[in-house]
Amino acid sequence: MTSPLVHIDGISKRFGDAVALENLSLDIAEGEFVTFLGPSGCGKSTTLRILGGFERPDTGRVILDGEDVTNQPPERRHVNMVFQDYALFPHMTVQQNISFALELKGMDKSAIKRRLDEITSFLELDGFGDRYPGQLSGGQRQRVALARALAPDPALLLLDEPLGALDAKLRGQVQRELKSIQRQTHKTFFFVTHDQEEALTMSDRIVVMNKGRVEQDGTPEDLYFHPQSRFVAEFIGETNLLSGKMRGVDGEAVVMDWFGQTLRGHAPSGVPTEGASITASVRLEKLGFHKARPDLPNAVQGHVVSKTFLGSRMAVDMVVDQTDGAKLRAFVDADTGHSIGDDPIWAAWDSDSMAVLRD
Amino acid sequence: MNRRVELNRGNRIFLACVYWAFVLYVFVPLILMIVMGFKDSKFIGFPIRSWTLDWYTGVFSDAEVLYTFGYSVVIAILSTLISVIVGTWIAVLLEGRKFWGRAVTFGLMVLPALVPGIISAIAFRIYARMLGIEPGMGAIIWAHAVHNVPFVTLVVMARLSTLPKSQIEAARDLGADPLMAFMRITLPYLVPAILGASVFCLLLSFDDFVRSFFLGGYEPTLPVLIFAMLRSGMSPEINAIATVALVLTAAIGIWAERFTRRANKESQT
Ligand SMILES: Nc1ncnc2c1ncn2[C@@H]1O[C@H](COP(=O)(O)OP(=O)(O)O)[C@@H](O)[C@H]1O
Ligand SMILES: [Mg+2]
Repeated sequence: MTSPLVHIDGISKRFGDAVALENLSLDIAEGEFVTFLGPSGCGKSTTLRILGGFERPDTGRVILDGEDVTNQPPERRHVNMVFQDYALFPHMTVQQNISFALELKGMDKSAIKRRLDEITSFLELDGFGDRYPGQLSGGQRQRVALARALAPDPALLLLDEPLGALDAKLRGQVQRELKSIQRQTHKTFFFVTHDQEEALTMSDRIVVMNKGRVEQDGTPEDLYFHPQSRFVAEFIGETNLLSGKMRGVDGEAVVMDWFGQTLRGHAPSGVPTEGASITASVRLEKLGFHKARPDLPNAVQGHVVSKTFLGSRMAVDMVVDQTDGAKLRAFVDADTGHSIGDDPIWAAWDSDSMAVLRD
Repeated sequence: MNRRVELNRGNRIFLACVYWAFVLYVFVPLILMIVMGFKDSKFIGFPIRSWTLDWYTGVFSDAEVLYTFGYSVVIAILSTLISVIVGTWIAVLLEGRKFWGRAVTFGLMVLPALVPGIISAIAFRIYARMLGIEPGMGAIIWAHAVHNVPFVTLVVMARLSTLPKSQIEAARDLGADPLMAFMRITLPYLVPAILGASVFCLLLSFDDFVRSFFLGGYEPTLPVLIFAMLRSGMSPEINAIATVALVLTAAIGIWAERFTRRANKESQT
């Protein structure tokens, strides 16, 4: 195995009494698009700032490309950052902003010019070179910030919620652009966001953070369909949470008791002890409706109480019989939704679609 | 909350009267002074029977006046240079830093601006003698510089507090060491404040009488010269000198104000 580009080794950071990071370890491979996802205040920016060299961890080390950079100042690291407020220099033109790092590196004029042309045409900033940041739109500023950070060809690019200041429509477009820029440059992107949809659409890998710790680390699909904890299941997407008792193991499946009904799922975070109170998660699109009891590991009977048309699909809410009024919610296509009447109906799902969670 | 005080018609007229009375109070003496400088007679006062520019041509050919004017300008420029460098340096050290005794340090820094001129002038005089500093240009520059430092520091600190932290971090991120980040980012950002403070210091120094009087040697500064001339009787020549000084200082002040405002606007993104 080749060594990772970034190796974060057990870093902790406190600000006074507040714990920002607690013993965080993480490896990032070269060329990855890694997203740090978590609610506000969970330590995402702090991690990024430690990688950039703006904060020092209280304990632990940061290894970049085999070199311990924990105590290196930002100017010595082969890492660049796109700041949340872009931090463009207002008294410099776009061109001067982008070539700032190249100049400091001592590159000669013609080399700077070549790199500048390359990067501005790549990011479609031609013709803006002589403007000042104050004369640009939000989207253009964002691209200039990206160009400035990419210009010195860093080994690692840090992005701290760089799309936060853009309006919703522009955001989607910039997300796709950013992803394609990352693919074309093969650069390692370390992206921070609190927006789970953004994380799902852009990342090769998502690290979910909660209260200064890594909650789960995996591909977007992994996190979405196989959440290990209740926090991840609830933070990413919408889900049905079923609380019951652990009964035992049957082959590959974990068996749980839910209001006297036997359900089968899987446990991505390890098998709980028998008799323990557990919670399982089933994604809305994994539930199917059937007129008669289907041949699936999990099937419960109930009746539909409401249907909500959402355009491309329909949300169906049902109350499950023989429970204390437990509800399940499912996404179906509109035609299927319309065909569901008031008669009792079966909702069913596969054992692979139900993840038993760690608390 | 932005609650506008509603005024009835009577109050509005009353306030307008007070305002214009104030304006007259300030400007009538100035206008009288300027007018008298063009009077073709040695005696100041009405009626004015004929006009002349002789007082002005007199001023511009009076070697002593011209020399003194230059002397005052040199003192103003040199003391301002010192104030600006020291004041900016203190501002950079104090702003955004928390340390034990910061409040005391800050208070001591502001003090020179608050001490009454006559007291600080006497104190400087005594201190200068103890140090063996001869009265004269050096002593005046030193006193002016010390007096003006707080104004520079306060203005520069106010500007510095609006510089986003990410600006410096971005510069460091892109390869600038702390000194380079200061020179390329912080300093350009401070230019409008430094310029404004400089003009203020220039005017304060140029205008100062008390310190210049107490610490001066045989050569007077312009205000001290005017004072000396007054003792031998009021003459329209003094009006002419004062008018020239007034026009120059007003021009510099207005130019600086406009420049600072434009620079401030440019740096807002
Ligand atoms: N400079 C600082 N001083 C004090 N507390 C800080 C500082 N920076 C971050 N924190 C605290 O550390 C925690 C993590 O912050 P941060 O990394 O910015 O979170 P996120 O980027 O995920 O929103 C928060 O509780 C925050 O209040
Ligand atoms: Mg943050």
